[in-house]
Amino acid sequence: MLSVKGLRANVGENEILTGLDLEVGPGEIHAIMGPNGSGKSTFSHVLSGREGYEVTAGSVTFEGQDLLALEPEERAHRGVFLAFQYPVELPGVNNTYFLKAALNSIRKARGESELDAVSFLRLIKEKLKILHLNDSLLKRAVNAGFSGGEKKRNEIFQMALLEPKLAILDETDSGLDIDALRVVADGVNALRSPERSMIVVTHYQRLLDYIEPDRVHVLAKGRIIRSGGKELALELEEKGYGWILEQEQAA
Amino acid sequence: MNGAAPTSFDTWLSARADGEVGAGLDWLEAQRRSALDQVREQGVPGTKQEAWRYTSLKRLIEQGFARVEDEVTALQLHDFEELLIPELDSHRVVMVNGRFTPSLSALGDLPRGVRVTGLRALLSSDPDALRERLNGVAGESQPLFAALNTAGLDDGLVVLLDRGAILERPIELIHLSVGMDEPRVAQPRHVVSLADGAQATLIERYVSLGESLYCTNSVLELSLGRDAVLKHDRIQVESPNAFHITGLYLSQDAGSRYVGVNIGLGAAWARTDLVTRFSGEHAECDLQGLYLAGDRQLMDYHIDVNHAVPSCSSRETFKGILYGKGRAVFDGRVVVAKDAQKTDAAMSNKNLMLSENAEVDTKPQLEINADDVKCSHGTTVGQIEPEKLFYLRSRGISAPFARRMLCLGFAEEIIDALHSDALREAVSEEVGRRLETAPLT
Repeated sequence: MLSVKGLRANVGENEILTGLDLEVGPGEIHAIMGPNGSGKSTFSHVLSGREGYEVTAGSVTFEGQDLLALEPEERAHRGVFLAFQYPVELPGVNNTYFLKAALNSIRKARGESELDAVSFLRLIKEKLKILHLNDSLLKRAVNAGFSGGEKKRNEIFQMALLEPKLAILDETDSGLDIDALRVVADGVNALRSPERSMIVVTHYQRLLDYIEPDRVHVLAKGRIIRSGGKELALELEEKGYGWILEQEQAA
Repeated sequence: MNGAAPTSFDTWLSARADGEVGAGLDWLEAQRRSALDQVREQGVPGTKQEAWRYTSLKRLIEQGFARVEDEVTALQLHDFEELLIPELDSHRVVMVNGRFTPSLSALGDLPRGVRVTGLRALLSSDPDALRERLNGVAGESQPLFAALNTAGLDDGLVVLLDRGAILERPIELIHLSVGMDEPRVAQPRHVVSLADGAQATLIERYVSLGESLYCTNSVLELSLGRDAVLKHDRIQVESPNAFHITGLYLSQDAGSRYVGVNIGLGAAWARTDLVTRFSGEHAECDLQGLYLAGDRQLMDYHIDVNHAVPSCSSRETFKGILYGKGRAVFDGRVVVAKDAQKTDAAMSNKNLMLSENAEVDTKPQLEINADDVKCSHGTTVGQIEPEKLFYLRSRGISAPFARRMLCLGFAEEIIDALHSDALREAVSEEVGRRLETAPLT
């Protein structure tokens, strides 16, 4: 489904990704962990097509297609979704209007018919139910004045609505208390499906108590230095990142 | 047009074939003469004059606009059906090229104590009703375009509400411009007077048939008695080749409230002067505005808020979206007199620039002569934030659509302040439509 090979990327003069390899199969959940500054967010942004990053080497193939050649909206049309670490506030842009514009843009790009207002509202209600959310978020401007928890829930809600094939959750746990974290994790778990792969980027093991990954990768200095099962996350929780970095340096 | 370009506004005041309105009224003729003297005295102001520092009158004067002479009589409602807003339930007044046109208007039933009529008609039927009111707010000494309007006075909308009269439905003025063989100037003069405790909503829409070249030089005199409330929406969507001038003069007595929303989308060259004065305490004035300026378009706003008495509040909130080679001017001034303690005034002007070739001159000023006041002003000139654009695009929304959504989001605050759902929808659509074709360079 997703194949990343030898990916190198710069921000300005600095090389942040230094040869990253990653294979994600359909329906798999991969956790990417790593200390601050290891390149986690850069990787998320490069996958979703954010400006300001220069890919200097390597490739990213998504369902056989060169992902890096596509505009951000084209990636979304093909089923890539980024849940932002810091969802952007859009004052004056109504959340329902935004969701409808997003969904219909994607449907249109895929050659499907656009949803009318009634079918759209029906769909929205259905998704709210699955995620156990109430509809108060819908009437407000996108993320404007939302609490940290509300913003993250709105991200998961968008994911539920847009039904991506590959969801990248960029530090979705940051800034959340334990209750909000549980709500968000429950939402993510409700969206697990054999057709949906996820990359869960996180600094802490905590989120992985709720979202159980198939694979765990440790990212350091811009590349993956260790991969394993979910027990690797527990080991990291116990010992921190230091020991792996030391082993890596020794090797 | 033959020969050298005109260098004065004399053509604006050529004689009308059907005669001058109110001929024989001494007081009116005196006002006209005085206005004409002022026009001659002022000549053509250059950019050395503060009021015209950012805006040259050259382009306007060169057109050599002639005064509207003939009434457009053949026009029927279905000729401009697409300009109507059917969902807007209003007392509708239609003016064509500056003339009140009863056959196209639909005033409906007006409650007791409310008079809605044409200026021309009222000057012949009951001139005394206008004697104190005409130039009562604009004053004797007038800036150039108000003086031109007075000197060339012909027709306009008159709305008079008696003490305590309440108008539930809005009055909607549709000022329609129809192109003539040669470029013409219409100078409507509107007089709106609300006695103590009266309440009304006024919607003005300046529209045109086609893309013709003409000029509208409108003057509004609004006077609010004690505790009166006027809600006022102005939508300017003149032809892309038109020149539009507005002088709005507002006087507010104690406890009165005025909420005005100015939407400027059309015309090649638009100048708006908003002049407000408080004459009694605890009055509130809320001026809001939204302008779009694209290629070969100038939007020029001058705002003059005079806090002459204590304990009044004013808000001036203007937002602009500029694209292509669009130009805008925001020159706002709040003056707080020495005795006007407890004044609460806040002025803001925010501009969203979609192109590097667009230009805005923004100059909000406070002149505070009292010491116990709450006053602020702020101005921003910015671009669409890349992270907002990326957020929308990452959700599958194309870059042009995303830009439009963000612009509409920026404008939302002002559009939302309009006083009718139907109008909000119409304006929102029109803004979206213009942004759809807006060049980004």
